[in-house]
Amino acid sequence: MDNIICRCEEVTEQEIRDAIRQFDLRSVDEVKRLTGAGMGLCQGRSCEPLIRRIMAQETNRGMNHVQPLSSRPPTKPIKLEALAQEKGNES
Amino acid sequence: MNKAADVVVIGGGVIGCSVAYHLAKRGAKVTLIEKREGLCLGASGSNQGGVPVALSLPESPLLGLIRESARLYKSLSQEIGYDVDYEQTGLLICSVDEKQRPHFEKHAQKMQEKGVNIRILEGDEIRKLEPVIGDDVVAGIEEWESGTVNPFKVTHGFAYAARKMGAEFLLATNIYKIEIKENRITAVVTDKGRITTDYIVTAAGAWSPEIGQMVGLTIPVKPQRGQIIVTEPLPFNERWKYICDADYLSIAFNAEAAAKSTDLRTRLGVAGNYVQKNTGTWTIGSSRDFAGYNNQGTMEATSYLAKRMIKFLHKYKEVNCIRTYAGFRPFCYADDHPIISKVDNLSGFLIATGHAGKGVTLAPLTGKFISELITENKTSMPIDALCFSRFKGMENESG
Repeated sequence: MDNIICRCEEVTEQEIRDAIRQFDLRSVDEVKRLTGAGMGLCQGRSCEPLIRRIMAQETNRGMNHVQPLSSRPPTKPIKLEALAQEKGNES
Repeated sequence: MNKAADVVVIGGGVIGCSVAYHLAKRGAKVTLIEKREGLCLGASGSNQGGVPVALSLPESPLLGLIRESARLYKSLSQEIGYDVDYEQTGLLICSVDEKQRPHFEKHAQKMQEKGVNIRILEGDEIRKLEPVIGDDVVAGIEEWESGTVNPFKVTHGFAYAARKMGAEFLLATNIYKIEIKENRITAVVTDKGRITTDYIVTAAGAWSPEIGQMVGLTIPVKPQRGQIIVTEPLPFNERWKYICDADYLSIAFNAEAAAKSTDLRTRLGVAGNYVQKNTGTWTIGSSRDFAGYNNQGTMEATSYLAKRMIKFLHKYKEVNCIRTYAGFRPFCYADDHPIISKVDNLSGFLIATGHAGKGVTLAPLTGKFISELITENKTSMPIDALCFSRFKGMENESG
């Protein structure tokens, strides 16, 4: 249970199971927001399936009944300066 | 699956959960209905967790309410038995435009008269205290009543405490109909069954007008989109972890004036609002535009957010942005004030929405007021400015 599920944010399996039980969570999005799992540099790319499986077990559902994490752009980290140069005039 | 409740709360955001908690605390049997499969998935989960005091207009009826709600946050973690990450960070309002100086000097003076702990700092003093602040910043206002919270933890914390006192939460539940008999609320019909109840509290945020329509009311709220960027974690700032743009004191909160501006950034409602979380990441907000219920971010607004951030916090131009998100503030297009109210001629129907960007800020107090309205028929502070009857005669207007 001390398994690290989210390596970016160092969130353990126990922390995720505890949060699901304490707050009656039903979605991976809630787990992410409450525990920080999936919020790090890789944006859940490696841990999302693991969190989904834990959620499925805790709520007695099949994996395909648990909604995947909603994706948030950008797909890869991008420098603030690069974003600033994208479009629009100075203001 | 038919049930009975004293109060049905509609909406599982920070307002609905606060209402559920405060009512359960007063002994009411509460059922909260949320259409999505989870709590805090709308505006409550798409903001920056700021509780800003000095951004209010000094003469606004909201100032006193904001200060009281900010005060309630200080003891909230202890009260609900769960740490919501409240921190009295204070707030630094920065200007990059010398022309704004007379305006914000007046703002600071009026706030001082109201007893807010506030002072003006020159650009060089600010940079000495906080070396990451950019050279463009000419002056600023610092104020110490403001704070930040983790909005997910506030929402789930209220829900957790409410459940412990017997409140029931129905997720992924849709409302078909609200039953009324002789101008009294009698029941809510959902896809999971019928719930008989004497009271309904509409806390459905930007979706509240749909609930209003079910009982023939026009709730003058529309979705105001807000976009936010999240950075990688950075070392903690020395003094200010909550910094914002003096545009908020002039144009940014004035939707009408912003819409008429010749400047595209201003029209998109982009003004800087920067919060460093306890993980070290910064959230960079925010924009304000009206795009219906489309929560896809736009590159245009994102780019302006980044540009604006670099002006204020120049040294962060090299940092990585790892995520963006958008949500819908419930914007009251009649006067940009929340609606916390009973409704004339419809006994048992209450409204708690229209907070726009102040939902997290006012959540503790909103829940308290609604519980007082239901159990005592009065509130502990005057909230006439927030009553629903102020919209009389404008039923057919829309935003």
